[in-house]
Amino acid sequence: MSRSRGVVFYGLLCVLIAMHFTVRPMLGWRVNVDFLVLSVLIIAVRARPGVAAVCGFGLGLMADSLTPAAFGAGALALTVVGFGASWLKSAFFADNAGVNAAFVFLGTWAFDAVFLLAEHRVRGWELLAQALLWAPLSAALTAVVGIAVLGIVRPLVAAERG
Amino acid sequence: MARPQRTDPRVDFALAAGAAVLALIGLVAPATTRDRVASALRTTVVAPAAALQARAEISRRSFLAAEGTRRFNDSVAFRSERLSGVEDENARLRQLLGLAGAVKWGFVPAEILQGRSLGDEYTVTMSAGTSAGVETLSPIIVAQGIVGVVQRADPSLSVGILWPHPDFRVSAMSADGATYGIVTSHQGPSADRYLLELRSVPLRSQLRPGTLIVSSGAGGVFPRNIPVGTVLNELKTNDAWARTYLVRPAVKFADLGAVMVLTRSKSKQGVDGVWNIEALADSARRSVVAVGEALNARTRDSLAALERQRVADSLALLAASGVPVTSTSPPGKPVSAASRRKP
Repeated sequence: MSRSRGVVFYGLLCVLIAMHFTVRPMLGWRVNVDFLVLSVLIIAVRARPGVAAVCGFGLGLMADSLTPAAFGAGALALTVVGFGASWLKSAFFADNAGVNAAFVFLGTWAFDAVFLLAEHRVRGWELLAQALLWAPLSAALTAVVGIAVLGIVRPLVAAERG
Repeated sequence: MARPQRTDPRVDFALAAGAAVLALIGLVAPATTRDRVASALRTTVVAPAAALQARAEISRRSFLAAEGTRRFNDSVAFRSERLSGVEDENARLRQLLGLAGAVKWGFVPAEILQGRSLGDEYTVTMSAGTSAGVETLSPIIVAQGIVGVVQRADPSLSVGILWPHPDFRVSAMSADGATYGIVTSHQGPSADRYLLELRSVPLRSQLRPGTLIVSSGAGGVFPRNIPVGTVLNELKTNDAWARTYLVRPAVKFADLGAVMVLTRSKSKQGVDGVWNIEALADSARRSVVAVGEALNARTRDSLAALERQRVADSLALLAASGVPVTSTSPPGKPVSAASRRKP
């Protein structure tokens, strides 16, 4: 990847991370876009699993520091997602928008599932509703946004893979 | 042992496992430790993100509160508008209280009830009747002066006519008691309709603008020395044996709310000393004189401007007809075109 493309790529990641801390709280929707998961997935596409896991851990820790009650849950979930997504990228990541959407959808849903299980705050029916209703809806919304973002970064990734 | 390659999957596993273990430690660590670590992160590397999130949440709250704030502002504005009306009403009531203190006894406070309809603008219903001591032909007054007279009184309510009513009459005189007449409503057009006329003033008596007119006490309805209005100017009428003056009423038509009805015994006894007639007369005279001077000054300015325009037009006409014109204009006056052409 050339230097200029690298700058654009990391700039895009910074924008996504910033959006996670601005757009999400501003919208305040129950179904919302998880820009951090999106960032980790994009990193996972072009990085090795170990690096993706460490990046996921860092970003998760960043998010956890703002929600100390669930400290560690976000880091663990993003570590798992980053590592898993990087392992699966060869199978999932393609020039097909539907496959990419499924990639983001599954990644986000997996993050929510791991996060909910790790934080131990939600139980019973509420946990089921959160995991089977709100999490998939959020994952779907994140997938829609993710397709748009991957459309932007695809040329960079394609250059790297080529 | 050879150093593992950067692409070795074991390195990836090791990194991922390390990260996961650290995350698990964070999960199971004591709350104080977690808070300490979180606090350290918030104040260092996460500080910009925390600031962004705080601003975003403030923006969202502001956005959500905007509608409520607008409603609150509207309510405050509405209350404020109502308050100004209440303040006016308060001032009127204070004046009426002052009048009540001066009159001391022999009066009935009454409220003018809303509901004046078209064609009935000068008749009012009042919230006091015969049971409170109101009688037919009882004078209705406020702190500024005469308002009207009771036309009909029922046990609990009464009906009065106000000074713009065609049937309204009050025997009046100038404040110095030198000139007498009858005050009636002025049946003029538009805004003049809310003025009064002082009729039947003897020809030998001439009133100056600003003269205070008060009730004379003749006729037995209105006691002596209640302010009625102020002379504005003399009206030209067909009456060859008496003068008629236009009078500005002492009471504004829009200021009516709470009034005071004088009882018959108080009317007979009189209200001398309640109004400081001399001070009122002086104040009225000064206000009318001030208005007159302002009008005179404006008229003088207008006439001077007209004169200058006339001279300028004449010079321009002469110049256009080829007559040589020398500039003899005093400073400030326009110089003709012909004079400007001269070397």
